[in-house]
Amino acid sequence: MSLKTKPIQHQIHRVILPNGVILLVVENQAADLVAGRFFLSNAGSIIEKPSQAGISNLVSSVITKGTKNLSALEIAEQVESIGASLGADSSSDYFAFSLKTVAADFPEMLQLLGEIMQYPSFPDSEVELERKIALQTIRSQKEQPFSVAFSQLRQSIYGQHPYGVSVLGTEESVASLTPEDLKQYHQIYFRPDNLIISLSGRITKEQAVDLVTQVFGDWRIPSTTLAVDELPSIDTKPSKEVIVQDTQQSIVMLGYKGTSVTDEAYPVLKLLSTYLGNGLSSRLFVELREKRGLAYDVSAFYPTRLEPAPFVTYMGTAPENTEIAIEGLSKEVERLREIKLSDDELQGAKNKLLGQYALGKQTNGEIAQIYGWYESLGLGVDFDTQFPETISQVTPQMAQEVVNAYLKNPFISIVQPENL
Amino acid sequence: MVQVSTPRETSSLPANIFQLDNGLTVIHQQISATPVVVTDVWLKAGAIAEPESWSGMAHFLEHMIFKGSPQVGVGEFDWIIENAGGMANAATSHDYAHFYLTSANTHLEQTLPYLADILLNASIPDEEFIRERDVVLEEIRGSNDDPDWLGLQLLYQTLYETHPYRRSILGEVELLMQHTPDLMRCFHRTHYQPENMTVAIVGGIEQESALSLVHQTFSKFSVRSECPPITIEAEPPLIQKRSQELKLPRIEHARLLMGWIGPSAQNLKQGVGLDLLSVILAGGRCSRLINELREETQLVLDICSNFSLQQDSSVFAISALLETENLLDVEKVICDRLWQLATEPIPQKELARAKRLLINDYIFSTETPGQLASIYGYYNTINCLDQCLSYPTIVEQFSAFELQQIASAYLSPERYASVILKPF
Repeated sequence: MSLKTKPIQHQIHRVILPNGVILLVVENQAADLVAGRFFLSNAGSIIEKPSQAGISNLVSSVITKGTKNLSALEIAEQVESIGASLGADSSSDYFAFSLKTVAADFPEMLQLLGEIMQYPSFPDSEVELERKIALQTIRSQKEQPFSVAFSQLRQSIYGQHPYGVSVLGTEESVASLTPEDLKQYHQIYFRPDNLIISLSGRITKEQAVDLVTQVFGDWRIPSTTLAVDELPSIDTKPSKEVIVQDTQQSIVMLGYKGTSVTDEAYPVLKLLSTYLGNGLSSRLFVELREKRGLAYDVSAFYPTRLEPAPFVTYMGTAPENTEIAIEGLSKEVERLREIKLSDDELQGAKNKLLGQYALGKQTNGEIAQIYGWYESLGLGVDFDTQFPETISQVTPQMAQEVVNAYLKNPFISIVQPENL
Repeated sequence: MVQVSTPRETSSLPANIFQLDNGLTVIHQQISATPVVVTDVWLKAGAIAEPESWSGMAHFLEHMIFKGSPQVGVGEFDWIIENAGGMANAATSHDYAHFYLTSANTHLEQTLPYLADILLNASIPDEEFIRERDVVLEEIRGSNDDPDWLGLQLLYQTLYETHPYRRSILGEVELLMQHTPDLMRCFHRTHYQPENMTVAIVGGIEQESALSLVHQTFSKFSVRSECPPITIEAEPPLIQKRSQELKLPRIEHARLLMGWIGPSAQNLKQGVGLDLLSVILAGGRCSRLINELREETQLVLDICSNFSLQQDSSVFAISALLETENLLDVEKVICDRLWQLATEPIPQKELARAKRLLINDYIFSTETPGQLASIYGYYNTINCLDQCLSYPTIVEQFSAFELQQIASAYLSPERYASVILKPF
């Protein structure tokens, strides 16, 4: 059975301002609010040199803490006194701001965000404070066995490629970052022709164009072009790494080099990841948890990335089951190399993936995020309709070919207590 | 049309509440702009319903519900729901267990009967019981590796001496190993009955269809059983500070958790007052503790405050992530600030900011059918739905003087539970 329900298609307005700002607007009168995501493309940890790993994240912590006219506290007071939320974050492939306000407060907050984006001051004291906290946050990651296992896996798969390091950076790289580095980062990536503004909520296209033009219209494109550096190739070989920690559970993680979102194998891997590890009816859940009681948390993930993304299966299990877990996770992937999925199994995975994809676009924040993100990755908002189409066209044959091409020898990462 | 008693009177509620003849409460709200329907089934069958030696039963049963009924085989429910593009999951706490199903409106007639059947007629097969217990044991192991989970457990144990809120929801391993499928069936047949159940159904479905569907599917409850009676003694008030310290091998930073017992859900207005005080203390960069301890003196890496409403008594907690050497100073500053809240009125500007933050948060967190269904089901389960709907009005009406009284009544700088986690 394939699903017949058509999810709601949002009407997306796309306008390009004379200075290159791309504005996306989804008018949604349902709730009294406007959510916005403001993406700077070609930023995020993907462009970081190893010596500056974590700089995007540090910029995101400091940028809301001072402009040429306002102190950190004045900014916070403006935002909090009207009960808005305004923040910045960075990810593998982008840097972004989030804004959420009740509809009437949107113009005022957009004005403030315009000042933050164009005239941040990166005060020395704030850089120092946020750098100290970023360093502590890096240390905090070691408290969660899952993070430890994933960090080790990422390092094994990616080597010197920027995806090999957490978006937080390393203790060495973050310790070396200076206010000057942050100002330079801002100069390079914050420019109108690199900005995508995606809005959803109680706002019309006309209102949005007027407001964005008022705030960002005078921002001039710098004379320099934004150079995009060549990334190191990923030429690592599968390995097995173990970290010993005093834990009650072992974390077993198997990773494979997947593909970029633009590769034709991408939708197939997305579907395979869903089949294996997404939801209560997924293969890993049924075989390893439901039938064998080996784990509470057993799953798979394969994120959408500009560069080849990791394809990961993992579980947490009693230390004495560590080897059984490695074998169980490997076998389920190997099985897909040997047999073709039945039409029913594949259709089930499609229905699940597409159903969840539609359910992921409910709030204004989610809507603003997804369209702005696709635009910033260079996929365009049409990717939102193309993606379900490509998923629905995957055949059992294609799935088997992709498993054989990409999911062969896993990188293995284990976190376990010593006494095995 | 199904027979229902008159809808309950609710002033500002966009939803309608019905009681079916069998005692089941149904809450419905139509949102025509969306094809999504969320059905969230809430049961007064959380950890506080367990006799003491049955610890962990409510949560374990939540797992076993998914193992099906005489009509629905193991794994069949999950497959049916997900194959229809939907999602289902569940959670258990002290006051409740709830099971939620997100579905396209076109598939609800096909999916909802399965959810109702496994809830009402759970078989709890013996061999599945043994297997699933291993899964619960893994869940406990995984939680024990999470320092923040451990800290919270210890805070509740320290704060409550007699009330079952002190218990771990996941249960004690030794007791879990002694439970039998028969005991669990007894727990199920005692508590999974219509008068303990609220079905909240929100989204792209009309009232008549929703009621008729719920009426058809939630009708054949199991034959009643009777668990051993439980008596919940009133928790004696704290008469002094109670402290606990735990040393953990793998943590990089210390934690300080401080907790106070708040009002019951019946006394929602005071709870909302504590929500406001929580924002004044640690809601945003302007708030007192974040501004002072994170931004100015930089004694903490992070600090947050949280009010969690519960049926019998709620919990106000402040938790900080910090270096071990700052533990004493930070605890002292927090106590000073609490004393200040009880003795000085909050300035108007600061109060206005906290109110606006809370009211907007309410708007921001009631966008989707899932969020709404969850709020309706939860508040009805802890017996304060009518009041919760006037939440923004209650927030708006608070005066600085009233908040000062609430701080003085509940947030004593001398009588509270304190938990410290330290690295080895």
